[in-house]
Amino acid sequence: MKPDRDGLTRRDALKIAAGAAFSLPALFTRTAAAATTAASAPRFFTKDEYALLDELTETIIPTDRHSPGARAAKVAAYIDGRMAEAFLPVEADVQERWRDGLRRVDALSQEMNGTAFLAASPEKRVAVLARMAGNEKDPKSAEEKFFRELKGATVQGYYTSEIGIHQEMEYKGNVLQGEYAGEEPT
Amino acid sequence: MIFQMRPPAPKEADLTIVYDAIVVGSGAAGGMAAHVLTSHGLNVLLLEAGRKLDMESELKSMEWPYDHPRRGEMPRDGHAITLNEYTVRQPPYAKDTPYKHVYSYVQGWGGSDYSKNIVVDEKDHPYTGTKYAWVRARLLGGKTAIWGRLALRLSDYDFKGKTHDGYGEDWPISYADVQPYYDKVDLYLGIAGHKENLPHLPDSLFQRTTRLNPSEVMLRQSLKKMNRVLTPYRAGVTTDGLKHNKYRSKCYGRGACNRRAGGCDIHAAFDSPTGLIYPAMDTGHLTLRTNSTAYEVTVDPATGKARGVAFADSQSGKHYEARGKAVVVAASTLESARLLLLSKSNAHPNGIGNSSGHVGHNFCEHVMGPSILGRVKDLVGKPRTLDDGRPGGFYIPRYRNLEDRQPKFIRGYGFEGGGGTGMIPGRAFSTPGFGADFKKTVRDEAGAFVHMGGFGEVLPRYESSVSIDPAVKDRWGIPVLKFNYAFGDNEKQMALDMAVTGKEMFEAAGIEVLHADADVLTEGWSIHELGTARMGSDPKTSVLNQFQQSHDVKNLFVVDGSSHVSASCQNPTWTIMALAWRSCDHLADELGKGNL
Repeated sequence: MKPDRDGLTRRDALKIAAGAAFSLPALFTRTAAAATTAASAPRFFTKDEYALLDELTETIIPTDRHSPGARAAKVAAYIDGRMAEAFLPVEADVQERWRDGLRRVDALSQEMNGTAFLAASPEKRVAVLARMAGNEKDPKSAEEKFFRELKGATVQGYYTSEIGIHQEMEYKGNVLQGEYAGEEPT
Repeated sequence: MIFQMRPPAPKEADLTIVYDAIVVGSGAAGGMAAHVLTSHGLNVLLLEAGRKLDMESELKSMEWPYDHPRRGEMPRDGHAITLNEYTVRQPPYAKDTPYKHVYSYVQGWGGSDYSKNIVVDEKDHPYTGTKYAWVRARLLGGKTAIWGRLALRLSDYDFKGKTHDGYGEDWPISYADVQPYYDKVDLYLGIAGHKENLPHLPDSLFQRTTRLNPSEVMLRQSLKKMNRVLTPYRAGVTTDGLKHNKYRSKCYGRGACNRRAGGCDIHAAFDSPTGLIYPAMDTGHLTLRTNSTAYEVTVDPATGKARGVAFADSQSGKHYEARGKAVVVAASTLESARLLLLSKSNAHPNGIGNSSGHVGHNFCEHVMGPSILGRVKDLVGKPRTLDDGRPGGFYIPRYRNLEDRQPKFIRGYGFEGGGGTGMIPGRAFSTPGFGADFKKTVRDEAGAFVHMGGFGEVLPRYESSVSIDPAVKDRWGIPVLKFNYAFGDNEKQMALDMAVTGKEMFEAAGIEVLHADADVLTEGWSIHELGTARMGSDPKTSVLNQFQQSHDVKNLFVVDGSSHVSASCQNPTWTIMALAWRSCDHLADELGKGNL
């Protein structure tokens, strides 16, 4: 159904004019801006930790033929920001859990592949994550628990990102519509 | 970002004069009282404990998550109480907290940065006693700033519940008494819905209905065979616009409506300031004083009648008294009870209007928890549709204990639900796995989910109550409420039935059930507190008469949900406003006759 704007009163048109001008172009201009902005230095993680985190998020939500993945959506930067803004000392344990989790990923990769995670082949990286994801519903080991936390933050960061909302999920809302395009009850 | 009609300039409160009426509280009930009393030409002072917020800049309804530094989350020094905390701890929940601010659970919803100034900081507003998830919003408009917008009528199955099944008390009114006032509320504020001709859920005077998506249509068709009804969400939202109100726009189905805390910055969804208070100010008869924390209804010692309202300026802490010919309490069910109980005098030693001893008692609400999540196979992988460009999905009205008699519980419950996805595919968090397959599953299935959760009637019991705890005080030095309240066996049996029938309805419609939860949520979760100053014909067993007028003090009215005799399972806001309208018509009439 096409949005029907014919029924708008003059007052309604006044009210929505500014909103329409605001929301529609923003969608497109921001995409271009995001692509040209260079990634800034991590605020909480070390450079090495950040690089590992970035690869982990991309392994969880990769680029595919439908849309770019977590790396393009800057999910690692989102997680890094959350860690940097942790409420201390209350959330110091959260920060430590993430540092420890990243160390465990490398340790597990060493054990399974004989190399650090980033040095392993894509197939071997997937194998490491698959091991960590083995008990997703009821995680027991520290590695399994970290996977849950990592995946939750990745999902949150990706699906609230511009790429996640517009390109991946093709969300059609938050712009003015004629009316909701559903079905009348019969 | 959207052009808005600015609120009218406020008048200074004049505390040297006697107002015709003083209204305490500016939510659905207080806003309606202000509207109706000023429409009768009365000079009204409206006191609100909270601030007046600039809602357009507060809500940022159309801000994308990625344009917000924390994707809409509040600053990290704030904390929302979790279900687990409510379950294992007793109030006051902010006691010994390391966080700078502690909020009720609703602040844990997405978009919490937009509601952190709307819901109260539990540190300033403690309470004690049994566990209770008490959600409060202190600002101009109260909880109408974040309400769920489901706008339902009650019927004589509710008003005459005792006649129907023998439990509790009948209301001193019937549907025929309230129906003209429901009509007035519908026409003045706008309501979207679809006529169903149900005796237990009377139709409103509807504007254009919101629509159903394919999974909801499927469920609706299937339920017909079970003699049950799924109707589009009946929403206190104007879908056709309101010619008489310049502060509100009609709904444009923009989506992201389910960011509840994000409110509705074009005010298509009803809120008390734009729907009721600003138009009342435009009459020239309303004076609004925000930042006014009422702590006592004062009494004329010579007559025993209400003289006015004592309040503290919420910012300066200075104390004042405003005087009125009538006092209309509309501070919310629990705060109104607190105010009455705090108002002790020689004439009213148990608190004003409390000769019956029923103030604070017969406390009831809705029980929540059981919920069903399903997946419609035929919708997996279908092109994306906009599923949240509307205030809500659907409502399934009560079907229990109408003609039938359930063996294990009395009264009934309804379901609220919806199909499809919002802006963010929430199911992604619990979709197993990772990688390209995970991503594709989330994408393909997002539009195929349908979910619903039950709201059941909680029985009023005398022992379900709140009282004043003199040992604990709030930030303004006012003694707080102590809860003595817990769900009983009827609620627990009803919740078990919700889980069973919810699953059965999905299965009958061919919807694959992914998750069925039977656990009951903490008391208070529904944010539908009712009953602490109930109406009735007998002054010995009730606080108010059928016009929400105190049996003891004839110039004292309590026009919010505290007056409700039973909870019904239907959401209370529309009934609160219909009754407040009826009572304030009566108040104006009586004042004119010199009877108050």
